[in-house]
Amino acid sequence: MKLASFLSLVLITGFLFVAINKLHPVGAPLGNPDVLKDRSSAATDIINVNTMDDYYLRNSQTETGSNNVVSSIVFDYRGFDTLGEATVLFLVVTSISMLLSLLYKREDVDDYEFRKPNEFPGDVSRIISYGSYLLYPLIITFGVYLVIHGHLSPGGGFQGGAVMASGTALLLVSALITRHVHRTRRIFSFFESLGLTIFISMGFAGIGTTFLYNFLANGSLTLFGRAIPFGPNPGFLNSGGVLPVLSFAIGVEVFFGLSIILVTLFHVARHRKDME
Amino acid sequence: MISSVLFIILSAVIILTAMLSLYFRDLLASIVSYAVMSLVLTVVYFHLDAPDVAIAEAGIGAALTISIFVLTIKLTRRREE
Repeated sequence: MKLASFLSLVLITGFLFVAINKLHPVGAPLGNPDVLKDRSSAATDIINVNTMDDYYLRNSQTETGSNNVVSSIVFDYRGFDTLGEATVLFLVVTSISMLLSLLYKREDVDDYEFRKPNEFPGDVSRIISYGSYLLYPLIITFGVYLVIHGHLSPGGGFQGGAVMASGTALLLVSALITRHVHRTRRIFSFFESLGLTIFISMGFAGIGTTFLYNFLANGSLTLFGRAIPFGPNPGFLNSGGVLPVLSFAIGVEVFFGLSIILVTLFHVARHRKDME
Repeated sequence: MISSVLFIILSAVIILTAMLSLYFRDLLASIVSYAVMSLVLTVVYFHLDAPDVAIAEAGIGAALTISIFVLTIKLTRRREE
């Protein structure tokens, strides 16, 4: 057994060292070196394109109106994959929350008190409770920023939702929310389903062409339709077509879904501790 | 030059903390070591021009996974057999 694990370690390390020589330089386009030069028309360009990377780098800004090429791939070109991920997350949250809710009785957990930071909650020190109250708005603000600017800057719905859910984790671990688990779970599961529903209905809204077609891009200015020039530019909030909407939907779903897991797990742990 | 030296140091810290998180018998110490690994991995991702992945790693690897593990330890035992 020890020999096998040692051999596998050596094999994997050797493979990684061989593979590291084959990497191309970070940040350099893989195919055509001319892929970043200026383009004249807004039509789809397949002349200066050798590989798939070239196509995305050259056409994603004019086709989807999104400055963030990664976001344009995740939510537009590969939007169906993202729908699959969102569905997987939804199923995971549903099954975990169903399993954990079997571990306590309803009347046992509904009457905890809400604690303010100056009420010195039992096993939590004053530094932690005040510190988390100070940090929580900053974390939520950063998460909302990531979700809203998903089509302009690095980040997007999934990252922003995860950052906001880590704010929930902060509140729970510092033991500030301890009340109304059932009401919380009902509200959270409603919003989680709402996020997934928005995503799927935006997919069906573009079904005149294909499912999840970006029908808002380069259209009306009020509906995220602003066209953006090719190349580096600061970007506009009302560009991107359906991308900001999908990013918002995924952000809502990830935030509330991960928060349901954390809240349920926390209440089970709290209940067990009080039973002892 | 400086950045490649820094990169090697960070990679060594990642490997060290990953091995430590397997080595510890105290599961809470193991989780803390895992959190350090995720944080350093965030810096490495950022260094490799992947800020998207860095944000996801910081949010999920260093915050959410850790708190879920801590809550799970509250529900089970702290020490490995």
